[in-house]
Amino acid sequence: MVARTLDISGLTCPMTWVRTKLELERMAAGEALEVRCSPGEALENVPRSAREAGHGVTVDGTTIRIVRTRRPVASSDVAAGRGAA
Amino acid sequence: MSNSRRGFFRELASAVASAKEAVEPEPPPPDLTDAEIERYSRQLVLPEWGAAAQLAAMEASVLVIGAGALGAPVALYLAGAGVGRIGILDDDAVELSNLQRQLLHFTPDVGAPKAESAAAKLRYLNPDIVVEPYQARADAANAPALVEGQDLVVDCSDSFATRYAVNAACCAARVPLVEAGVLGMAGLVMSIKPGRTACYRCAFPVEPQDAPRCSDAGVLGPAAGVIGSLQALEALKLLTGVAPPVTDGFLQVDLATSDFVRVHASRRADCPDCG
Repeated sequence: MVARTLDISGLTCPMTWVRTKLELERMAAGEALEVRCSPGEALENVPRSAREAGHGVTVDGTTIRIVRTRRPVASSDVAAGRGAA
Repeated sequence: MSNSRRGFFRELASAVASAKEAVEPEPPPPDLTDAEIERYSRQLVLPEWGAAAQLAAMEASVLVIGAGALGAPVALYLAGAGVGRIGILDDDAVELSNLQRQLLHFTPDVGAPKAESAAAKLRYLNPDIVVEPYQARADAANAPALVEGQDLVVDCSDSFATRYAVNAACCAARVPLVEAGVLGMAGLVMSIKPGRTACYRCAFPVEPQDAPRCSDAGVLGPAAGVIGSLQALEALKLLTGVAPPVTDGFLQVDLATSDFVRVHASRRADCPDCG
């Protein structure tokens, strides 16, 4: 399957994750998204936010590949001790 | 049959929609524009919020009863969050003594109708939403027509008579309601899903009979701000489902002691409003 792509280079935090999150919300579980970003802050924060939400994440250079989880984790789940490991 | 114009069009639209649904697949949800994504980015970034919650807020019609100390933070936060249609109802004019706590009104507004003064600020805050000022006072006679067709009512009035009238009308029309009150440095907030959770009259069956004293008119601005902010939060929870609202009871807030206490209340089978 051809992955969806999203270019967030040129954006800064938190818009990098806002755009990525909105794209992930439109996808089905198991679908992959390739996010192109600039080196630096986004390359650290976007994978971390995606992992915290329970998605599968791999990073190759400045491309972040995210596989959408069935049910993203909410911060209230994390607060209640129900977050992803 | 609906007795309001908006209710009529809402029924017409839903009849057309359900007729179309039979033959056509449901269209994909509309995209947020770039400007909307930027304006609402600090809530869209929340794990609980997202595009679905944002669209639910943008499609909602909410009536705020009262443009005073509670109505100001409620209407400001709902407008800021992008609630698509906000009706704001008040029959008073702005007075100098209001300005200490009623954040929608400013010194040059003294003498102006509160509903109009409030609407002007809300449109200034968010020109993408529809704001409808109503220069009227909610009572038992007009409450049913006022709440008809609303997705949610937020009662920011300052009298028990109004609260009971609004509660009865919302229960009859099955319109979710957020009630609140504030006095001095204390207040309470309660969300109501009519027919499903305890209503205001279930929690407070009898109107307090004590005659109000002059000292009862006192309220510290930030105390009203806290209670109004809690009310706005409850409204957003009810509109979007992003978190559980305070139902089947109320949150009692004492800002002198900084105590927040959740008080339980149950539905009453003999409740004249929702039973």
